[in-house]
Amino acid sequence: MANDPMKQFEIAPIVEGPQLGPIDTTFTNSSLWMFIAVFGVIILFGLATGRKLIPGRLQSLGEICYEFIADMVKDTTGPEAMKFFPFVFTIFFFILFANLLGMNPWAFTTTSHLAVTAALSFFVVGMVFVMGIVKNGLRFFKIFAPSGLPFIMYFLIVPIEIISFIARPVALSVRLFANMMAGHVMLKVFAIFIAWLISLGGVYWAAAIVPVIGTTAIVALEFLVAALQAFVFAILTCVYLNDVYHVDH
Amino acid sequence: MSDKNGNSSNSPKTSDLDDLEQRLEDAKQRHAPEVEYENDNSLLGMAWRISTELVVAVLVGCALGYGIDYFAGTGPWFIILGLVLGLAAGLRNTFRLVLEMEAEEKKRLEKQGKS
Repeated sequence: MANDPMKQFEIAPIVEGPQLGPIDTTFTNSSLWMFIAVFGVIILFGLATGRKLIPGRLQSLGEICYEFIADMVKDTTGPEAMKFFPFVFTIFFFILFANLLGMNPWAFTTTSHLAVTAALSFFVVGMVFVMGIVKNGLRFFKIFAPSGLPFIMYFLIVPIEIISFIARPVALSVRLFANMMAGHVMLKVFAIFIAWLISLGGVYWAAAIVPVIGTTAIVALEFLVAALQAFVFAILTCVYLNDVYHVDH
Repeated sequence: MSDKNGNSSNSPKTSDLDDLEQRLEDAKQRHAPEVEYENDNSLLGMAWRISTELVVAVLVGCALGYGIDYFAGTGPWFIILGLVLGLAAGLRNTFRLVLEMEAEEKKRLEKQGKS
């Protein structure tokens, strides 16, 4: 029995790959579950994409998903940002699937590793930076210096704005990773507690009902957190995309 | 609704449809509390956003200050400056988020008032 609560986050190689410079191409359990998440999304939306006027169940699901993300992009960034809709959609459903798949027994939660979430979030913010410069040229740097301030204030505001810009990807990745990891550790600890109480025998055996209830509650909470964190990640992507289109806000 | 019913009295078919629509509308009203729930969720998301952004901004400020100190060898001065600026950035982000939330809340209330 694995009774180390951190054991579930261990990376195990499945197929050894060659070392390409600094990149280790070993196929691990993390990569496997990422692939499963991606294929899960592809299969779901492959089935859900219909062209019937009166949608069936799956097509309704697809349409609800589309509208959910489309409204999110339109409300937070504006209709001109619909160019980025596929990106936000992909990010949201990848994270949602990774989080929810991680809730299954024996599954590996890819989003509980900082490396994965950091790659996602640095890509998002990097894309905002590049697209902002492509779209606005050097005017993009005005997001670091809001207009209409006394000259002296810029010495204070510009570093503050730069720090908060750099903090974005860090906050984005830490939030997702910490939420997923903390939840899974908590679950495991509670579950181990059940086994421990039962192994003590006697009166303690009856007391095991308390952690059983606790674990059940945490499972429900974790499902909420899994969906919520995907939502937060997607909506923050939209908020950051705002800077591409509205340089002076 | 009343003039809709008045129109529909000409043909019985649309009257049936209107009746159905009315009943659907009523059913929707009866199961309305979903709005509360959705709002609750985004509040929880907001709480996560504010707490992490506050902490991370300070860490990033410190890290930047430490980096400058490390490469320029300027003693503890930049890490202190980074700490202060990081705190300021975190507070500014939080402040901005709260203002945003307030504006959204106002919009929502106005919408509710209209409907």
